[in-house]
Amino acid sequence: MIKKNETAVPKPLLGLLLALGAAAGLSAFSDRIDPYHLDVLIGVGINIILAVSLNLIGGHTGQFSLGHAGFMAVGAYAAAAVTLFLGPRLIPDAAPGGFQENALFLGALLSAGLAAALAGLLVGIPSLRLRGDYLALVTLGFGEIIRVLLQNFEPLGGALGLNGIPPYTTVFWVVASAALAIYVVGCLVRSTYGLGFKAVRDDEIAASAVGLDPARYKVVAFVIGAFFAGIAGGLFGHFKMTITPSGFDFTRSIEIVVMVILGGLGNTFGVILAAILLTLLPEVLRPVAEYRLVLYAVLLVALMLLRPRGLFNFRLGRRVSSS
Amino acid sequence: MTELLQQLVNGLSLGAVYALIALGYTMIYGVLRFINFAHADVFMVGGFIGLYLAPHVPGGGTVLGGMLVLFGAMIGCALLGMGIERLAYRPLRGAPTLNVLITAIGVSLFLQAGGQLVFGAAPRSFPAVFPTGAITLGPLEFSTNQLLVIGVAGALVVALQLLVYRTRMGSALRAVSQNPKAARLMGINNDVVIRWTFALGSALAGAGGVLYAVNYPSVDPLMGVMPGLKAFVAAIVGGIGSIPGAALGGLLLGLIETVVAGSPYSTYKDAIAFALLIVFLLFRPAGILGRARVEKV
Amino acid sequence: MSAPLLQLDQVTLRFGGLTAVDAVDLAIPEGELMGLIGPNGAGKTTVFNLITGVYAPSSGAVSFAGRPLAGLRSHEIVAAGVARTFQNIRLFGSLSVLDTVRVACNRHRAASPLQSLIRLRAFRESEAAVTRRAEELLELFNLLRFRDAEARSLPYGEQRRLEIVRALATRPRLLLLDEPAAGLNPAEKLELVALIQRVHREFSVTILLVEHSMRVVMGVCQRIAVLDHGKKIAEGSPEAIRQDPAVIEAYLGPDHATGLFHH
Ligand SMILES: Nc1ncnc2c1ncn2[C@@H]1O[C@H](COP(=O)(O)OP(=O)(O)OP(=O)(O)O)[C@@H](O)[C@H]1O
Ligand SMILES: [Mg+2]
Repeated sequence: MIKKNETAVPKPLLGLLLALGAAAGLSAFSDRIDPYHLDVLIGVGINIILAVSLNLIGGHTGQFSLGHAGFMAVGAYAAAAVTLFLGPRLIPDAAPGGFQENALFLGALLSAGLAAALAGLLVGIPSLRLRGDYLALVTLGFGEIIRVLLQNFEPLGGALGLNGIPPYTTVFWVVASAALAIYVVGCLVRSTYGLGFKAVRDDEIAASAVGLDPARYKVVAFVIGAFFAGIAGGLFGHFKMTITPSGFDFTRSIEIVVMVILGGLGNTFGVILAAILLTLLPEVLRPVAEYRLVLYAVLLVALMLLRPRGLFNFRLGRRVSSS
Repeated sequence: MTELLQQLVNGLSLGAVYALIALGYTMIYGVLRFINFAHADVFMVGGFIGLYLAPHVPGGGTVLGGMLVLFGAMIGCALLGMGIERLAYRPLRGAPTLNVLITAIGVSLFLQAGGQLVFGAAPRSFPAVFPTGAITLGPLEFSTNQLLVIGVAGALVVALQLLVYRTRMGSALRAVSQNPKAARLMGINNDVVIRWTFALGSALAGAGGVLYAVNYPSVDPLMGVMPGLKAFVAAIVGGIGSIPGAALGGLLLGLIETVVAGSPYSTYKDAIAFALLIVFLLFRPAGILGRARVEKV
Repeated sequence: MSAPLLQLDQVTLRFGGLTAVDAVDLAIPEGELMGLIGPNGAGKTTVFNLITGVYAPSSGAVSFAGRPLAGLRSHEIVAAGVARTFQNIRLFGSLSVLDTVRVACNRHRAASPLQSLIRLRAFRESEAAVTRRAEELLELFNLLRFRDAEARSLPYGEQRRLEIVRALATRPRLLLLDEPAAGLNPAEKLELVALIQRVHREFSVTILLVEHSMRVVMGVCQRIAVLDHGKKIAEGSPEAIRQDPAVIEAYLGPDHATGLFHH
């Protein structure tokens, strides 16, 4: 028997470094790329982060969450608050695109991730007691509560949201964050520790019978997933330059869910493809934009009826014929 | 005091609509054990059927004409509910809950987006299909519409209770929701029961849609979203699977929301329902009238 | 005699009106292979669920290695050294045979989540060690040939064996086996008897075995306790149990006294 020892070489780390290099290279040439294409690329990257992070919660750990846009909102507001309110005080006369500005943005993105992770912790706790559709509802309710709270919080713009957010989001930041999200989730779920996510999803009672703490795994999944959703939110705000509470509503959460379902729950590669596809689709379908949501809906139902394990599930189950 | 009574009637009429929607959630959950996310949009379709039917029924603006519109919407929604069940949910019988749940979300999105294409996204004003007026009782003034909503919803709940506890179909329904396998062994055709459950629940949602529209008075393709979510909260608070629980939960939620809406915290009105949901799911997941279940190992 | 490894002290569990386990006392000394038998619904699986923290006793106490288990959750009890198999097989649907065992090695060897991101040498070595250990265990139970197959796709008997391997991967001091012979054919049952004895010897683990097959129970157990309607009605050597009038009445039936086994 040939043992393929996947863990012997730190290939994933190499991959991450390459991706970061590519991100830097890409941004060096970004002024030669058509701005429209850049925008699409940034949109794709942000959606990849969202889909991959939701996939950790919903796909690998089986905690079906309908509140991912809520985490994104927390991150978007946290990051915008840092650059809008803290930025002018910390770096009053920074050169545009210079080191100081990028350092500030890094700080803003980290704050976004941490704030969202904290929210993830708060939502993760009810998930300890609930499963399936009840959990879906609580996460949905959580997303709505965040929205209502933001709408009522005047220091952050209330229902009108925040405007004039500096356009710090570049291709580099997006590609680097997406690479990091893929790397973290990918490494995690492949490790012995991370197999526990799947074990908890498959059977909580059996998981605790082999010494895994399902509660801990679920909370970890929520915290890490929310962290990256927060970063995606931060990138989104500094890309669009304006955010409103209603931009992070239930429909936004559903869009992310559709990506994960389309790609196949727990299938990182498929989910990335789906995020790309679903970001490009509206661009292609611009002439029939009003049909977009109907199309999403039909896609979702058709998938569940015809290909419940996702569009990109090519791995034929290695099954043993019963002897 | 008069203020309070006024609020009470406002709360009850809103709660009555929540109760009508909540009943459908609870009944469908009872037989299939999943949240039919599309239920809220059946409610919306009910409103639109009312809108399109209103100009064509004889005696518009009279009680009889209004009732005809109401029945039309109920029948239309019953058919829609059965159609959804047949096309989207039946093929998934026995599939993991998650798949059914996602399908339900898909159907819901389909109705919303389809509604926007077909009916247009802008709100449409809803005609006065019932006689309008006000009743003054001393210092109090109620609109007839509010009383009508409460009355019709109350009558429907009683009718449903009779149907479930006094008819053969009702006992089959209870059997299936208690133990589908045993029910099948007893010769009950589960598919038929499930189809009827969808028809009944959707008819109630259709009635709710018309009553809600009469009170507002407008309809739009997304009008189901918020009432739908709140009605689901009502179903959980009352105890999912319990018919009196759904009615109770609906009224409770309507009252709480009206009180909050009349207070300085009115902008938090929409968050209250979800806060209530989370509190209940955490501390009393079986709801007020429901019973808890444990998993056998 | 030293203190028992596992001790149940007047343990009772009620489900509503039903008393599934009724004031049961049980003491298993370290190293013993004990049987727990009784008719269907006697409360055997419920005793396992009480020991492993799936349910908390209505009254009474369970202690393991002198330490009360009250308030501990299932995974903490596994950490204390108790592992189990399930009467209705509960394998992880999406894990391969190898991963099923690897995931159970978490208690002892797994690197922390942070290490799995930084991937230093220590991490890679610990991951390799886990894989090696999992493969050794699989080899020992003749399951290595299914290494990359989905656990749930194995033939039934192999699934039961994989559950035992998974439990052993947590390095238990006490192993609870819930009807491991259920659904096996007579030849497989014989193999299982040998297997249980080997596990008992080579892993120096204490075993509590629930089993309906008298061939298996009488063949391997050093001592047997009998439950009926949640109460312990007898306890003793296989010989004594076979002759016990209360046990014959409640469970074995008259044929057993004369050595004819059913099931
Ligand atoms: N979660 C539960 N809720 C209610 N009753 C339960 C639960 N678990 C077990 N019971 C009941 O407790 C009693 C004991 O069940 P248990 O499964 O322990 O029996 P057993 O001895 O393992 O039987 P078998 O040989 O059939 O496996 C039975 O009457 C069973 O129906
Ligand atoms: Mg049992």
